Amino acid sequence: MASPARPDGPAGASDALLLRSLSAAVLSDGSGDVTLRREARGAVGDWGGVYAQLVRLTGPWRVHLYDGTQGFGLPEGRISGEKLGDRWVSVHRFGRITVRQEIAPTLRPAGAVRRLRFAVREGPPLPLVVYSSFVPYLLPPMVEGIRPRSFRVETTAEGLAVRQRGFGLDFRSSVAPSHLFLDRASWLGGHRTGPVEVIGTDHDMVVAPGRDVELRCVIVGGLERDLDRSRPMISGLVDDPEPTLAGAERTEVEWLASTPTLRFPDAPELERAYREARASLRRLYAAPDDSLVGLAAGYPWYSAIWCRDLAWMLPALLWLGDFEWVQRSIASVLHFQSRSAIPLLGGEPGELPMQISPGPVFLYGTSDTTLYYPELVARLVRHAGDPRSTEEWLPAIRRIVGWGLARTDPTTGLLRNGGEAEAISAATGSLARVRYGIDSPDTTIWDSTDRRDHAIDVQVLWHSALRSALELDAADAPSTSSRSLRDLADRLAATIPLAYRWPGERFLYDTIRSGRPVERLRPNALRAVSAGLVDPDRSRAIVHRAAEDDLSTPWGVRTLSTRDPLYRPNAYHDGQVWTIATAWAADAAFAAGETELGVDYLRRIAALYAAEGGAANECYRGDCPEPFNSCFLLGLSVGPFVSVVFERIWGLRPDARGARLEIRPSFPAGWRSASLDGLRLGPGRVALRYEAPELIVQWSGPGPLEVTTPGGTGTAGEGREVTLPLGRTDAGRERP
Amino acid sequence: MEIGLEYGPHSLEALLWIAETVEESVYEPGSLVRDPEGIRFTLGNPPLRMGAFSAFRLRWDGRPVDPALLRIRTGLGGSWRTAASVTADAPIELLPGVRIEVAAEVPQGIVGSSAVVRLELQCPAIPPLVWVEFRDTLRGG
Repeated sequence: MASPARPDGPAGASDALLLRSLSAAVLSDGSGDVTLRREARGAVGDWGGVYAQLVRLTGPWRVHLYDGTQGFGLPEGRISGEKLGDRWVSVHRFGRITVRQEIAPTLRPAGAVRRLRFAVREGPPLPLVVYSSFVPYLLPPMVEGIRPRSFRVETTAEGLAVRQRGFGLDFRSSVAPSHLFLDRASWLGGHRTGPVEVIGTDHDMVVAPGRDVELRCVIVGGLERDLDRSRPMISGLVDDPEPTLAGAERTEVEWLASTPTLRFPDAPELERAYREARASLRRLYAAPDDSLVGLAAGYPWYSAIWCRDLAWMLPALLWLGDFEWVQRSIASVLHFQSRSAIPLLGGEPGELPMQISPGPVFLYGTSDTTLYYPELVARLVRHAGDPRSTEEWLPAIRRIVGWGLARTDPTTGLLRNGGEAEAISAATGSLARVRYGIDSPDTTIWDSTDRRDHAIDVQVLWHSALRSALELDAADAPSTSSRSLRDLADRLAATIPLAYRWPGERFLYDTIRSGRPVERLRPNALRAVSAGLVDPDRSRAIVHRAAEDDLSTPWGVRTLSTRDPLYRPNAYHDGQVWTIATAWAADAAFAAGETELGVDYLRRIAALYAAEGGAANECYRGDCPEPFNSCFLLGLSVGPFVSVVFERIWGLRPDARGARLEIRPSFPAGWRSASLDGLRLGPGRVALRYEAPELIVQWSGPGPLEVTTPGGTGTAGEGREVTLPLGRTDAGRERP
Repeated sequence: MEIGLEYGPHSLEALLWIAETVEESVYEPGSLVRDPEGIRFTLGNPPLRMGAFSAFRLRWDGRPVDPALLRIRTGLGGSWRTAASVTADAPIELLPGVRIEVAAEVPQGIVGSSAVVRLELQCPAIPPLVWVEFRDTLRGG
């Protein structure tokens, strides 16, 4: 078994600075300029810039000062920097000049404001030229390798407008530019269309002792049509950004106050990790426009709503009590469900999109995204308790089931994955003068490796989708009657542990291709254990096998065993360590009754959060704890951790409709106390206090709440708290 | 049309923004030129994905070009290297917005004729092959 030792922390801990609002983000390295050099796909590029409405507005945005004799870049004179909420405040000094800079994202209009306050303490007045320059981008980061070549740049009465097809940005400043520059050459203004690398502006100012001056620059944008509508608000932002920024900060404080508080006196590192993961999840909240709500998958290059990633985050949001955001997120995704075949976008009837960005821009073509959503809807009902709010989604759930049935092998009952990207390529092949492609044969969660035809985690998802459809009463005669769905779900439940059984490794095969199992050892098999599809003895064997050091490392769990010929330590899905895989291992360990091992995996994730400023990278090399080809913040690395804490350590199983809560904690043997306050359940909130060997439950909602623990059942509420014996706290059980 | 009917006209419009941007941002139209040494052309961006690539291959009208006779340089005034020198240990880095010039000693094709050019790139970090393919008319250099 792998050593339970905690990692020393990744060698490449993130220096990235993310400032964000619900509609915008600023990516920087904290040097003083909006720049962020970061490796991606093995090459170092600059991801710094202003992002708004999930559109990358700019590349690096720099500021230089000229005092008449010499020039300075802001980073050269940096003497301090501090992140205050979502504002970055830095102080810079150049000779007699002190600059206090504040950078913050804005909400409406979406973008960023940069305030530069200049002061001199003594001497004669000092003429100063501030040169601001930014690289126009104007494309959603979903097309990660491409910066548009041609822009339309135009001077307006208030500043500069830059356009690239339907995307746009406006640049405004509190001190009008004295000179304009395109690609560092002087420009008289007007308009120009064509290649543009850098747009610059000079701002002339005079600083004198006791007479500080301030320059406020604003870059806002996203969709041109939304920018046009919000134009009247931009002037107010330039004149005084404070009300807008303060309003956004109040919203953040209120959100945090509405989420549960956890105390683990015997594991303060997990308590802290929960707070960090919660904060990181909040940083991914995205409402780029009025119609689109969700969470960005990650930063820097996955800053779009990826619906698979969203599905891994929404359960955590339910535990955090944000039912409304979950509901709006699901509605956003279901809105783009394909009603018919859309070959150009890879959509099949009933399929949910892989990705959504404002525009709207959306794309289908994954083998698993669609399957997550029936369970998400079922979970929402379990937490929120009001099925009426989800009734309108039942037709969508039925279409999801129909999509799954169309991909199901009638002989085996297994769902087929693979061929999605090829289908898109074939459909678009004749339409464009220039054709592009990425030859991905398969699009499971590990979409850069070939896991055709029946990847095990896809089958687990299909089983869950069927069960959830039944739970939601979404069955629809005759082809999808309750009975036929139940029969299929039962058949899958029987098939998975048998067909994927890998006796030689005491594990489960990764996939079945052309009727033959594929001997590839991946953590995906653990999902079958978490789902309770494997008997207890085999579950433990599988969990122990996964803990061996060919798959597990002190910094997390690899995507593929080092013993596999395909393994390479820097291959995205064939060797790298993924934090979500570590969370799967924790989840499965708890499910198998291996509480200490489950906690140990969670501690490995907690150590990453501690080392990386509250977030874990997307992935690390398989041979050393260095991030490689990795987003510094990814929802997959924080959402599942939060869910495991509530679902496994606390063992919570809500049923808000029935006013019931089942609590079957998995506390390690040495834990003597724990508490959970503010857990939202239907119309009320629950507080739990564990003082070994008892659990005290308080309930604030209307009517009684029936509480069940391994030691007994009682009723809380109506002014009463209930104390229950907890019984065994380290027994395994299937997933709630 | 179905897309527009189902999700509104903005959806069609926005998909076109992306498709057109991608189409115009990679191969520089008209840059396919024949000169005494062979052919050359320019890309304004990597094909779809940025990264460090361990293999850089070219097919000219379906026929593979010898990597020793295929040269690449990136950025303004960068130095040329052959595709044969591109390996996992010495990859070529392709970044957004950075020009890529490609030259190949290809005997076939005369000025005025059209050719199908296909580039294939392999990134060790994400193995599936990335490719771009276009047809254009050879111009005189």
